[in-house]
Amino acid sequence: MKNKLFLAFAALACLLLAFGTYEALVVAPTEETMGDVQRIFYVHVPAATVGFTMFFVNFIASLLYLWKRSARADALAAASAEVGVVFCSVVLITGPIWARYAWGVWWSAWDMRLNTTLMLWLLYVSYLILRRSSTAGSTSMLASALAVFAFLDVPIVYMANRWFRTHHPAPMIGTPNLDPRMQNILFINMIAFLIFGSLIAWFRYEMERTAQTIDAAHIQRAAGGAVGMMAVPAMFLAAPTHVNPHAYLWGGYLAAWGIYLGYLLFLMAKLGRLKKEAAELGR
Amino acid sequence: MKADAIKAATETPAVNMSFTRLAWINVAKDLRLEWRSRDVFNSMMFFALVVVVVFSFAFERDESKPVMGGLIWVAFLFSTTMALNQSWARELRNGVLDAYRVSPAPAEALFLGKVVGNFILVSLLECLMAPLFVVFYNLTSVGPLWQLILVALLGTWALVVNGTFFAAMSIRTRNRELMLPLLLLPISIPAVLSMVTGTSQVLSGEGSPIVQLKFLAGFCVIFTTACFLLFETVLNAE
Repeated sequence: MKNKLFLAFAALACLLLAFGTYEALVVAPTEETMGDVQRIFYVHVPAATVGFTMFFVNFIASLLYLWKRSARADALAAASAEVGVVFCSVVLITGPIWARYAWGVWWSAWDMRLNTTLMLWLLYVSYLILRRSSTAGSTSMLASALAVFAFLDVPIVYMANRWFRTHHPAPMIGTPNLDPRMQNILFINMIAFLIFGSLIAWFRYEMERTAQTIDAAHIQRAAGGAVGMMAVPAMFLAAPTHVNPHAYLWGGYLAAWGIYLGYLLFLMAKLGRLKKEAAELGR
Repeated sequence: MKADAIKAATETPAVNMSFTRLAWINVAKDLRLEWRSRDVFNSMMFFALVVVVVFSFAFERDESKPVMGGLIWVAFLFSTTMALNQSWARELRNGVLDAYRVSPAPAEALFLGKVVGNFILVSLLECLMAPLFVVFYNLTSVGPLWQLILVALLGTWALVVNGTFFAAMSIRTRNRELMLPLLLLPISIPAVLSMVTGTSQVLSGEGSPIVQLKFLAGFCVIFTTACFLLFETVLNAE
């Protein structure tokens, strides 16, 4: 039953992702000033939505753990934090690729919105490190306390956003500035990625439950970053004016999908390891 | 009769001391230990001194002016991290944490005591370091001094309260001392940003640090509350 439901959702996610990507790359109207590079937007914004949703789920699950002490809530917290870090990595890599073309720089150090996202990423990476290195038995408790702190930082930084200047484009959903066709395609992509992200989180959650039952709290590291960086090294040295915008567009898409697929491969490898260990323990 | 005896045995005996008195006993104990051994303070002081000297070699006097706020706080931040790690390591060595878990005294009193003790220690360090910065970087403040002191007090509290909490968390992990900066630095980035900005604004006289002060005050209130609510959980996490 569970497996069938999972497969049905996976098929739906694949269909929606293929459709959304096709719409984003081919059908969507070209943006006036930025040209084709703007199409990175269709993978950047949904990744941010999924990442922040995952961090919120992590917060709720951690509170639930502090309240009820349920192992399920702890597994959900672990899964959502890791998946959140992967999607946040995609945001942090596709963003600079777009910015290099649109602003001429990879990173703007005093932009609070960029700093917020980077800070969130750092916070949840430190959360994963804590989960990994705390002594067995105290992991869930310490991790859920840290998760509450991590989430407290978010509104504080959001307030700070108002006091500092930002170059980041303001959210345009629902404003007349956004072409309705663009908005529809963005929504398709958001739904597709939300289903995709939830599926990965579900998968990761089941794995965490398995890991809990065989008490093999193995190391999980968000494998984000490395794969994407390998896909686009050639563009790093080129001056932005001499480069075809399509190179940036493809760089952004390749980096994003490289991270997603790399993470899936990582999960598969981990699943294989867990299965082997479970078999050895005779479960 | 028997039921009464069981009830008396299982009930938590009331502690005949007020919360502040308990906290104060902890502060006094920490300060007395520190006064007799001086191991944390000496190493912290020397470390901060080395950082100041290294920075003064690395930056020209004139070019370091705009980044002065950053230099000062980086030096304090690292020495604070050192002090915080030591403050719990001592308790762990002597089994004080286990004693505290079984004692009826509220865990928050222990936490408040630790925070106040560390706050006094770090503030003392800052007072001793300030003349060094003046000497090495020819530091002068254009803005009013009281604003600088307020930024320092609020900033130190923000660092120490979070740092004491996360040090208690990180000594429970396998790589004890290594873990504290990894946990503390990301959490306190907003506070560090506004401390640095506020300090630079006062020193250069460009702009008023009132916004930063408000931000720091808010940060202190929110995180002090969170630390107090969650400390018992962390102390008892096994």
